[in-house]
Amino acid sequence: MPKCTINGKEVEVKEGTTIIKAMVDAGERIAHYCWHDGLSVAGVCRLCMVEIEGNPRVQIACNTTITEGMKINNTSEKVKEAVKWGLDFHLINHPLDCPICDQAGECGLQDQYMEYGKYDPEMAEPKQKKKKVVDLGPTVVLDSERCILCSRCVRFTEEVSKTNELGIFNRGDRSEIGTHDGMPLDNKYSLNTVDICPVGALTSKDFRFRQRVWYLKDAETVCNGCATGCNVKVYYNKEGFFRVKPVYNENVNGYWMCDEGRDIYKFVNRETRLLKAQVRSNSGWSEMPAGAAAKHAHELLKTTSGDSLALVLTAQYTVEEFDAIVSTFVNEFKTKKIYFWINNKETFDNFDGILLRGDKNPNTKGLLKVLEKHGITATWNDLSQGLASGAIKTVVVAGPENQAVFPDFHERVKELSKAQNLIWLQAGKNEALMSLTGNVWLIPMKTFVEKDGTFINHAGLEQKFKKVTTVVSEALTLTEAALLMSGKNLAIPTAQPFLPLNQRPDQVELEARKKNEFVFRRGSL
Amino acid sequence: MAEVKLLTEFYHLPEYQTLAGYKAKGGYETLVKALKMQPQAIIDEVKASGLRGRGGAGFPTGMKWGFLPKNNEPRFLLCNADEGEPGTFKDRMMMERAPHQLIEGMIISAFAIGSNKGYIYVRGEYVYPIECLKKALKEAYDAGLLGKNILGSGFDFDLDVYRGAGAYICGEETGMISSLEGLKGQPKLKPPFPAVQGYLRKPTIVNNVETLAAVTYIVRDGAQAYRKNGTEKSAGTKLFSLSGNVMKPGNYEVPLGYPLMDLIMKEGGGMKPGRRLKAVIPGGSSAPVLTAEEVAKANLDYESLAGLGSMLGSGAVIVMDDSQCMVDMLGVLTHFYAHESCGQCTPCREGTGWLDKILHSILEGRGRLQDIDLLIKIADNMKGKTICALSDAAALPVLSFVTKFRDEFEFYVREGRSKVKGTTYAEMHH
Repeated sequence: MPKCTINGKEVEVKEGTTIIKAMVDAGERIAHYCWHDGLSVAGVCRLCMVEIEGNPRVQIACNTTITEGMKINNTSEKVKEAVKWGLDFHLINHPLDCPICDQAGECGLQDQYMEYGKYDPEMAEPKQKKKKVVDLGPTVVLDSERCILCSRCVRFTEEVSKTNELGIFNRGDRSEIGTHDGMPLDNKYSLNTVDICPVGALTSKDFRFRQRVWYLKDAETVCNGCATGCNVKVYYNKEGFFRVKPVYNENVNGYWMCDEGRDIYKFVNRETRLLKAQVRSNSGWSEMPAGAAAKHAHELLKTTSGDSLALVLTAQYTVEEFDAIVSTFVNEFKTKKIYFWINNKETFDNFDGILLRGDKNPNTKGLLKVLEKHGITATWNDLSQGLASGAIKTVVVAGPENQAVFPDFHERVKELSKAQNLIWLQAGKNEALMSLTGNVWLIPMKTFVEKDGTFINHAGLEQKFKKVTTVVSEALTLTEAALLMSGKNLAIPTAQPFLPLNQRPDQVELEARKKNEFVFRRGSL
Repeated sequence: MAEVKLLTEFYHLPEYQTLAGYKAKGGYETLVKALKMQPQAIIDEVKASGLRGRGGAGFPTGMKWGFLPKNNEPRFLLCNADEGEPGTFKDRMMMERAPHQLIEGMIISAFAIGSNKGYIYVRGEYVYPIECLKKALKEAYDAGLLGKNILGSGFDFDLDVYRGAGAYICGEETGMISSLEGLKGQPKLKPPFPAVQGYLRKPTIVNNVETLAAVTYIVRDGAQAYRKNGTEKSAGTKLFSLSGNVMKPGNYEVPLGYPLMDLIMKEGGGMKPGRRLKAVIPGGSSAPVLTAEEVAKANLDYESLAGLGSMLGSGAVIVMDDSQCMVDMLGVLTHFYAHESCGQCTPCREGTGWLDKILHSILEGRGRLQDIDLLIKIADNMKGKTICALSDAAALPVLSFVTKFRDEFEFYVREGRSKVKGTTYAEMHH
């Protein structure tokens, strides 16, 4: 384990560590564009300059391995001058169209210029003209003039997605990122290139022009798109959720996530949600508050015998919720007719070798664990028979949050609607449910970003996540629905709901912003 | 002193191109001798000879070979014949006149370093030299000089010609390796160096045509005999490509340490009538320019030219007389480097283009006085900041031209026309 000195601080690193990695880990600031911990070293932006004692030249930190006793600094005038000019070279042909650029606010050029900029531009020549609004594929748009040719996206398609769609064409200051004719950037991980693009060259078709990033808040959670459980950050504001980006987790997803996972914000937003409970009786549909609908359902459930009552669960809820509702059914309603609705049996075990899994539920392992705990062994066949024979009269369904991954949705609705009474708990709207006849309760549920909880991923890893925000305030969690349906009341939170204004956590942040302090966000690169 | 024809002794004979003609003058006799030697003895001999890379960098050849790992890993010997440095045309002549000389040198070198596969990477525009090489390779294969069990020695060596695609940067050894691997010709990040991980990630030695050809003579005559020519630190003879405003431009082989002025005045036949020497670029377009006063002090060896702030480079001596406009000349160079930058490293990609744009603004009469200092600032900040030396190669001429001939640049900016020619850019070039 070699020891070295970085800016006067003694640091011990693993054998083979590069200077830049050691500096980033040690919390030292170092300018860089092309280096990315999840990719190979390109050494082309020439910004991560450091001075090593005994070496007359400044050199790049990303391709230099630390050796015993190395004395490294990046605060000397020589280094500062090199970085300043290095950054200026990046900018001379950059269009500086920040006001209309989607990356503004989270741009590597903007951020690093604040700290390392020359503040004295001397470029008086006409800038290079390059292609704008290049359609690279179904998900990504390129602006070549903004591109600083760090080659991160090229290395991503080479090394991570292994699809090799991107390359750098032409030479010198005419160099441009591009794809070969007829070979668009079209892979299941393509949007990672947008994440790692330090500037506004690659933008996501889904996100571009929809929000200014400074109007977005972000919070970490766990992707509920499949059994991998990638750690993600969701970006939102009052208008809803706008995008999802990966968060590094060595044990789960590394630095990446798939494109499918980026869509999970869509079924969270109000447009797709069931906002009020819909209850259908002989006199037709009527609308009522979710809590009231659950209590209304209780009136039925308290008179229902355990033998004629079934519960259907999708693996789309948290472990805590599963436990609450299964306990309620086993202990209060005295039924063990609890069934696991598996959405895509055939492809359940598929895995693409990177992140994507065939099991499109975030918590299959969690559900199985809860079912096992309560000794539930019932199979779907039992349910089908019970429904066909009329033995099962009332069914409670915890429907899927992510309806898109339930290709058998309509089929199941049809099958389950054979029950006399159908109590359907679900976050999103669905036409099939609204066209049901008979006694139906549709009760809106909260989505994964609106609650605390735990998912257990394919590998059995328990991942806890916190509530991000509330989108549909009236919607219930499965736990709340279980309580209300069994005739109990919801506990009112005891924590003081109103904080003095100056103690609110976001107020503190606001004040920091008022000071207009520049925050160097290494994480955004 | 005068020319010493060691490598070029028989270049005037047309038949020297063929195997028979080459053999008639003692060709491949050294190979026979070398194959009986211990490989390490050849390396030691080359080390002792003080031979330095003739492609431009002047790195000691024996030392370069010594960087190879001491194991049985397969390794490659690549000949760098991507002669692209403006002003250089010696390798071309060598391949045209004496292709077997190169092949013999390569077999001996490959035997010394234990390589069984080599490539000659030839500049794409060199159609005729490639033809000559291919013909010679066929002859050599047919004569059992290449392929399996060469001359019954048990040593195998296969050699192929690879035609480049016309990029200057592929003359940089790792750029050449990338190109040979079928990739875009861009230099690779070092470390690892090619001797450790080069072509196809295997240990690789890249040597210039002239370097490899010289190995034969070192083995033939011994290191001490080779050292008789040249200076202590710059041993042997070297081919210089003399071009520009001289009476007799051409390739001349002289001992290293030869006075630059003699090369111009004696071998080159001096200046055109009525013209005075103004400046010389002594080592290819990347080398800083020397003024006439500096030329008088310069000897053609690595140390003397380094002492004058320039370099021996590839041995391309470009002579300029007093009819040359230095602003115009520099414009040609900046344009070349802006065109040839591979575009990987930011300082070079953006810097070469920027320099060229400023130069052409000046040439077209749009220059500003502060542009002259700006050129120096940009060039200064491009130096030593990139993966390969192209950035330096672009910066050094700018620094030397602008500092040594500043008055011409200032005049051009003020008047919008050349101080020397009195005309504008458009007039100069029509």
